[in-house]
Amino acid sequence: MTFKYVKHALLLATVLAAACGGETVETKPPAVAPPKPVPAAPAAEADPLGPRPNVDPPPPFTPPAPAVFRTANGMTVWLLERHALPMVAIDVALPIGSASDPAGEGGLAWATANMLDEGAGSRGALELARAVDQLGASLSATAGTDRSGVSLFVLKRNLAPAFDLLADVVTRPRFDATEWKRVHELWTNDLKSRTRDPRAVASVVASAALHGADQPYGHPVSGTLASAAKIDLARVKRFYQANWRPDQATIVAVGDVTRAELTAALDKAFAGWKAPAAAPAAKAAPAAEPKGARSRLIVVDRADAPQSQITIVRPGPTVSEPDAVLADRANIALGGSFTSRLNLDLREEHGWTYGAGSRVSAMRQAGTIGLSSAVHTENTGDAVKAMLNDAEVYATKGLTPAEVDLTRMMARVDVVQAYEHVSSTATLLGNDAALGLPATYEAEAALRRDSATKADLDRVAQRYFHPKDAIVVIVGPQAKVLPQLAQVEGLPKPEFFDAEGNPRAAK
Amino acid sequence: MLGKRFALQGVLVAALGLVTGTAAADGISIPHAVHKLKNGMTVILSEDHSLPLVAVNVSYNVGSRFEAPKRTGFAHLFEHLMFMGTKRAPTGAFDQWMESTGGSNNAWTSEDRTDYFDVGPKTILPLLLWLEADRLRDLGPLMTKKKVDAQREVVRNERRQTGENTPYGKVEFRLPELLYPEGHPYHHPVIGSHEDLEAATVEDVKEFFATWYDPANASLVVAGDFGPAETLDRIKTYFESIPSRGAPKDPKSPGFPEGASSLKTVVRETLEDEVELPKVIMAWQTPKHFAPGDGELDLLGNVLAGGKASRLYKALVYEQKIAQSVEAVQQSGTLGSRFVVGVLARPGVPLERIEKAIDAELQRARTKPVSAEELTRVKNVVETDFVARLEGVQQRASILNMYQAEVGTPDYAERDLERYRKATADGIRAVAEQWLRPDARVILRVVPKGKKP
Repeated sequence: MTFKYVKHALLLATVLAAACGGETVETKPPAVAPPKPVPAAPAAEADPLGPRPNVDPPPPFTPPAPAVFRTANGMTVWLLERHALPMVAIDVALPIGSASDPAGEGGLAWATANMLDEGAGSRGALELARAVDQLGASLSATAGTDRSGVSLFVLKRNLAPAFDLLADVVTRPRFDATEWKRVHELWTNDLKSRTRDPRAVASVVASAALHGADQPYGHPVSGTLASAAKIDLARVKRFYQANWRPDQATIVAVGDVTRAELTAALDKAFAGWKAPAAAPAAKAAPAAEPKGARSRLIVVDRADAPQSQITIVRPGPTVSEPDAVLADRANIALGGSFTSRLNLDLREEHGWTYGAGSRVSAMRQAGTIGLSSAVHTENTGDAVKAMLNDAEVYATKGLTPAEVDLTRMMARVDVVQAYEHVSSTATLLGNDAALGLPATYEAEAALRRDSATKADLDRVAQRYFHPKDAIVVIVGPQAKVLPQLAQVEGLPKPEFFDAEGNPRAAK
Repeated sequence: MLGKRFALQGVLVAALGLVTGTAAADGISIPHAVHKLKNGMTVILSEDHSLPLVAVNVSYNVGSRFEAPKRTGFAHLFEHLMFMGTKRAPTGAFDQWMESTGGSNNAWTSEDRTDYFDVGPKTILPLLLWLEADRLRDLGPLMTKKKVDAQREVVRNERRQTGENTPYGKVEFRLPELLYPEGHPYHHPVIGSHEDLEAATVEDVKEFFATWYDPANASLVVAGDFGPAETLDRIKTYFESIPSRGAPKDPKSPGFPEGASSLKTVVRETLEDEVELPKVIMAWQTPKHFAPGDGELDLLGNVLAGGKASRLYKALVYEQKIAQSVEAVQQSGTLGSRFVVGVLARPGVPLERIEKAIDAELQRARTKPVSAEELTRVKNVVETDFVARLEGVQQRASILNMYQAEVGTPDYAERDLERYRKATADGIRAVAEQWLRPDARVILRVVPKGKKP
């Protein structure tokens, strides 16, 4: 199947109010007192569609806050009941992710999470997978930058046996040496394959350059070939013991389950999980200033590529800063919608790309603003220039009144849609819990996002979207793109990186 | 009114018997009502008031298999052009008006169909319907070279981004050409060739619109939070006066018998690509969507490669440690389907060895019924996925139109699910034996650049 646009690449925003006026088919006003009789003109045919319908403002929607309580063994529970369909989604959220990987051991949190379902409790890896399938359930464990977790989706009638499997995975992983050998080999091969994927390479290089490869947010969640080679099973076990503990866990449940049912299931399945006496590990903090907070141009050679992957990054707000939700809303007009400035400019106006956009990644102790597009190689210089210019104009001149309205409307409906599926709701709430945000966060954020004024949005646009200190990363054919980049005014001299985020000499 | 209305109890009535040994399940249905407009357009309304959202899905019975010679990629290029404006909603306005009132949209084109979908707050529904009616009514005659050129470049970049510059992306270009003979409607990839995209003219666009974008060739679904009586009135006001020339004739597949593969030998090819690990893809022509065997092949795909406990994963990744990942899937189409097995090799493992290991598993599937435990397992996985897919308004709207297009009625969820419930171990074996023949298939290899033997 082939789409109008790819949503994640997407990115889109708004055109001006004047252009919104649009044309309608007009009927001419009757002439007043004609000097002499003329044959009646045929009446202009009425437009069967009539004028464009007015759209009333959407009804208010306040994200529902989950009920919060604790279990006997010290886990926090967030429960959002929804009984329309007989299904339940669970997200077990832990506040430790790749930002807590020890220096040089990038990927440790990720590898640890990945080992949880490779045999747990009384079952080996394959037996466990069979048992999950037998229930028609899905169960997966993984880590992100600031969190680790296990998610479960199951029909209500199979909730009890699924809970037993979930508890095995979270509290009784086997960490078998044979399984580790296989997982480590697959992991290494995937990291090698990543070096051939231009979008993944751009992301690895941009994070390393912006945060510093040795800093908490500077390495990929799944690590690098160098760091993966250093991680062994003993390190994984120690990381699990230090971080996967009930007093750090939040169990998010969304769907067709009551508090009584959930409590009974949790007390039965998780009763044996106790927190160690030692205090939980501290969450790693990055260096005060992102290392890359200055203008740079980085090129990763991908000889013969038909397109250049362009990524432009600069520091953004942390998740707990009030500006995070405002930046998220302001981003809609720069690159977070189909009609955004970047997409209309690069795609609809020039045809240089299938899509251009931007996004805000607000993490616990750092944030990133990222602009990206994959453009035809011959348009690389033009596209970089246009992206930098669009961001600069946006930051210095602020939003148009039409954009202020657009971002309010799109942000509102995004919130409603986030609550459409029990699984996406559980993931959203699990992320909040892992980041240390309150259960009321989504409701508060929606209110703040919705009530932001043009002045508020202009201020965050100026603070976060100006590209003067941005890092421009190009993954493309070096020989073809360097002459084009040399023509873009204001770009610094190029530096050259490999696909794993390390500086290297020019070829 | 052709359809029937279900009692509204939540979004759908579902109580599945998904634990081994329990009694058979109750029914499953998506509440909806069907109406036929005077011009032949089908209208399907599906209410659900659980969130203040509404989705619109307009499906046209035209895809890449309807394209004229030397015009590959045209149906999809046309899909992009459907956003390029009319007198009432000039270029850019469709997206702009929609997004500025909280809506969003996208569209997709397959070999068989083109699907446009919009979603937004409940209050946006009149605008969504007005915009969809406007472009169906007027878009074609107002096409210009400037509009065609703009989207031609976008689509060529889509081809580069999703295929040429993505590891293994070229498989989707080449596989259909190897699997179906020249002249077969599925012979070329949906996105088409650069050369044909370059050659498309404004006249082609106008003719395509006049032929295929007819109300009698379209089906409109509204799903979500709306009042059905008022919505039906509005739909009649906007759509019913659009004249129809009658539903166009589906060209089908002239000269190709249904129910048999046109492949008679093993077709082999090796592609070079910017990849790290070599890959083997095997493909067969298989029974069309909803035909006998189609559901069995869905289940077999799961038996072979659905998760860690599946046969190919267990044998190739887990035990023999020769593969990095495995996939097996029945991709169902209106004229015919394809069953595709893909295996990524671990470094240094010859592809001959991978092929032998796949063949051993396929031979087992052809000769011995799957175990009772495997059958229960994959049925439960497929059934849960089925229910989960019905959760969002956009997906429900899309599924209702899929049933309408493929089987002529949106009221098919229960019968669709029945196909899986009724499948037997020996039925799966028989389908594998009949369709997944070792001597009539495509074997496509992808190897790192410069490694072609």
